[in-house]
Amino acid sequence: MGFALAAQPRKHREQPNPDRSLAVRGEHQRCQRGPVEGHSHLLQTLHPRSLVSPFPSFCFLKFYGWSSIRGSLYKKLPLTEQSQAAELPRDFLGISVPEQPNKYYFVIRGQRIVLEADSSIQTLMEKLQSYKTRVALHFDGFQYQLGDFQLRVGKVVPTHAENLRGIVMEVEYLPISSIEKARQVMEQFLDIWKEAVSKRSLPGHFLHIEPHFAEYGLTENYTSQHTAVQYATVMAQLIATVQAVQSGRI
Amino acid sequence: MECVVQGIIETQHVEALEILLQGLCGVHKERLRIHEICLKSGPNLGVVPSEVRLLCDLEQPEPTWTVRHIGGAMRGAGADQISVLVRTMVESKVSKNVLRLFYALGYKLDHELLRVGFAFHFQRGAQITVTVSSVNKMLKLHATDEAVPVTPGIQLVEVTAPASAENYTEVVAAVSSFCEYLAPLLHLSKPGISTGVVPTAAAAAASLMSDGGGTPL
Repeated sequence: MGFALAAQPRKHREQPNPDRSLAVRGEHQRCQRGPVEGHSHLLQTLHPRSLVSPFPSFCFLKFYGWSSIRGSLYKKLPLTEQSQAAELPRDFLGISVPEQPNKYYFVIRGQRIVLEADSSIQTLMEKLQSYKTRVALHFDGFQYQLGDFQLRVGKVVPTHAENLRGIVMEVEYLPISSIEKARQVMEQFLDIWKEAVSKRSLPGHFLHIEPHFAEYGLTENYTSQHTAVQYATVMAQLIATVQAVQSGRI
Repeated sequence: MECVVQGIIETQHVEALEILLQGLCGVHKERLRIHEICLKSGPNLGVVPSEVRLLCDLEQPEPTWTVRHIGGAMRGAGADQISVLVRTMVESKVSKNVLRLFYALGYKLDHELLRVGFAFHFQRGAQITVTVSSVNKMLKLHATDEAVPVTPGIQLVEVTAPASAENYTEVVAAVSSFCEYLAPLLHLSKPGISTGVVPTAAAAAASLMSDGGGTPL
C-alpha cells in the first residue's frame, strides 16, 4: 500500500478488485477516529478539510458532500429524579446511516445492544412516550477516496443549531469486510496519517474509542450495525465532552 | 392507521370459509404461525403507560420479527356511525434481539399468544388482509410447541386494511363491502363488540362444501 497508488475513479470501483481483496462482501471494513478533543473554542478554528490537507492533492478524489448520518439521544421519560430507576438506562442512541436509508438503529451502549429496524421505529418510539429525543446531531462534511481507502471528514453539528460539537473522521478500507484481516492495513494507514497530521500542528487530538463489536454480538464481517455502534460511541463521547465543558470540568 | 373488524367462527366451518375466501380473493392463502409477545411499560417508565407487541413469524425458514404499537381508536359521532374500527397503528420490522432491547428499556412481559392459521392478502378497493387463526396460550414461557387453544373449537377472523387520514373513508367502505360477502358464515364487527357465531353458518358452510363455492350464497 502507499500513496503512490493513483486514485481511481469511483465508477471503476463498484466491485472490489478480487486480486487484492481477501473477502468480498457488500459491506466493508471501517474504522473511525472519533471526535477531536481539546478546548471547545479551538474546535471553531479547526476546519475538517485541514485533516486531509497534509496529503498531496492528487491523491484524493473528492466525490460529494457527506451529510447523511443522523444521530439522536433518547432520554427516558419522565425526567424527574424519582423516576430514575437504577436498573433502567437513562438514555440510548438512535442512528441512521446513508447506505441503509430505510433502516434505523438503536444502540444501548451500557448493555451492548444494537437493534436494526425499519425507519418507522422512530415513529413507534414517539408513540410510546417512554423515551424521547433530547439531542439530535448530524454529521456534515466531505467524502474522499484514496486508493482502497475512503475517508469521510466532517463536522458534528446539532440539528437545530449552528454551534460545532466536534469533528469526526471515518476511514473505510474498501476491499475487505473482515475486521481482523483488515486490521493491520487500517492501522498502517492511520499511523501514516497521524504522522502527516502531526507535522501540521493542528489543535486538539483525535480520540479513538474501541467499539467492542463482539460484546454486541456482531459478526466478524463488517455490517451497517457495526457502523451504527461506532457512530453511537462517537456521539456518546461528544455529548459527554460537551456536558463536561458546560459544567466547567474541562 | 388501520381499519379493523373481527369475528369468530367455529373450527368446523373454517374449511368452508377458506373456500369462500379463495373464491373472493383470487389469491393463494399464506400459512400463519405467529408468536405474539405483548409487553407493557414498567413502573415509572413513560409519561403514560404503554404497550407494544412483538410478533415473531415462525412460518419463515428463519423467524422474522416485527414490533407493533396499536394506538387509540378514532372517536366521535362520525366514528360511532361506522361499523369498522379506525385506529392508529405503527409497526416496524426489527432484528431478532428486539425482546432483549425492550426488556432493557424497562418493558415487562404481560402475556404471549401463538396464532396458528392462514391469511389472504388481496386488493379490493383497498389492500385487505383476512386472517383466520386459532389463538393459543403457552403453558410455559415461550414454549410455542406446547400451546393450547384459548377457546377450543372457535377461531378468530380478522379483516384489516392500512389507511391514512386522507383515505380512511374509502378504506372503511371497501372493508365493509367485503365483509358483506362473509355475512352468511360470520358476523364481523369492531373489536370488543362481541356478536357470537352466526346461526346461518352451518347451512352456508354445508353449501360451500358441497359445491366448492360455485353456488353464490
